[in-house]
Amino acid sequence: MHIPDGILPAPVCVAGYAIAGGITWVALKRIHKTSDSQVEVPKAALMAAAFFVGSSISLPVPPVSVHLVLNGLLGIVLGWYAWPAILIGLLLQAILLGHGGVTTLGVDAVMMGIPAVLAGQLFQLRHYLGKSLPAKISLGLFSFIAGAFGVGLSAMIFFALVIFAIPSTLDQSTEQTFLKALMVGHIPLIFLEGVFAVLLCFFLLRVKPELLER
Amino acid sequence: MAVSLHADVYIPGQSVVHRWAARPKLLSLLTLMFAIAMVRHLVLLPWVFVVVIGLYLAAQLPLSYLCRRLPYPGLFIVAMVGLLPWVSGETVIWQGWIFSLRLEGIQMAALVAGRFVAILTTGFVLLGTTPFLTLLEAMRSLGIPTLLTDMTLLTYRYLFDVANQLATMHQAMALRGYGHSRQTLRRRWNWLAALFGSLLLRSYEQSQRVYSAMRLRGYGQQPPRSLNQKPGGAIALPTILTLTAAVSVVICELSLASL
Repeated sequence: MHIPDGILPAPVCVAGYAIAGGITWVALKRIHKTSDSQVEVPKAALMAAAFFVGSSISLPVPPVSVHLVLNGLLGIVLGWYAWPAILIGLLLQAILLGHGGVTTLGVDAVMMGIPAVLAGQLFQLRHYLGKSLPAKISLGLFSFIAGAFGVGLSAMIFFALVIFAIPSTLDQSTEQTFLKALMVGHIPLIFLEGVFAVLLCFFLLRVKPELLER
Repeated sequence: MAVSLHADVYIPGQSVVHRWAARPKLLSLLTLMFAIAMVRHLVLLPWVFVVVIGLYLAAQLPLSYLCRRLPYPGLFIVAMVGLLPWVSGETVIWQGWIFSLRLEGIQMAALVAGRFVAILTTGFVLLGTTPFLTLLEAMRSLGIPTLLTDMTLLTYRYLFDVANQLATMHQAMALRGYGHSRQTLRRRWNWLAALFGSLLLRSYEQSQRVYSAMRLRGYGQQPPRSLNQKPGGAIALPTILTLTAAVSVVICELSLASL
């Protein structure tokens, strides 16, 4: 779900960088306020590397297999560090794989990073809203919501960009059909991300629960 | 399964672009990339390609470098613009069965693909002639926060280790029967979640050791040291030429838009 170089007009790319810069400022402020960044930086960096590499795992969904976005999960595990992790992940993807782009780095970061941070906050709500539920059900429910929300919101931002920012000479009915097909195509992915987040959170609960507690 | 990463992004050399100081190079080439992103008139693409090819030749990067790195991102752009000539526009220039080739669609696809190749090639010139550490140093000197540059450096340093770990773990999983015998989808997903979870765990545990090693070497005890102590290199001529080319693209684009 990355937008490559050359697709978006320059003003949108510049706006993407401006928004990403603002969010970086907020995220770094929160990070310095709530944690010892010197302790957390190596952890966040290595986890970012693991997410970067882990996104290449393909999940079998017969007759095909899909690669997950994992931004919701990144928010669950890293919290506010998910923002710099995504920014760095996208930069390295652009440099090492040529995937995404340098001019669209800001836009891509906004598209993937804001949902990741919000998914992380959503996951933390289980401490308040999920109190009345058994611990395991609360964890499963909120990890599903956070995992699905991350990729769902990213998809919505992506569609908004396609509709409003990419100039097109498509006729309206073709454009609507195309967008509908694209949206429907993403629904299974949203569900899969939610299910995978649940499976992973249960695994971490069994073997290293402190990774889920921030 | 593991990502195949291009570790050899930087190609050592003695060209003028290699000797160009990192900070003005980063700023000038980024300006050029944004100028190219502004192009909306197909007629400007030849001029853009003259500039980019000139830059690539000046960098003395081998053609094989571009050929090796272009196909993967190229597939994405083909997937994105491949449909445009068939569905976008009104002027039909060829029709066969249910397919109609449209002029406006071809123009749009050519414009997007042209901008993509030009920006990507400019990016390759930047990355192919500047070591990653020097690039990070340039970013830091431009005011990018230390937390971001430290994290980038560590992520980059351990990315290849983590990729190797994943490949080994996946191989071990396959040897234990994953994907060979008849397994329910649920069981396979559980295996993959455990695989990814184990990767996170190993990274987490490794990060504790890395932090301890960094503390022992003085991390956090002194102000951040420069990553690269080498002198800057040439600045004026390549910077002026690149910025002039970028400005010329912008001026031509604005002139065409006002016609």
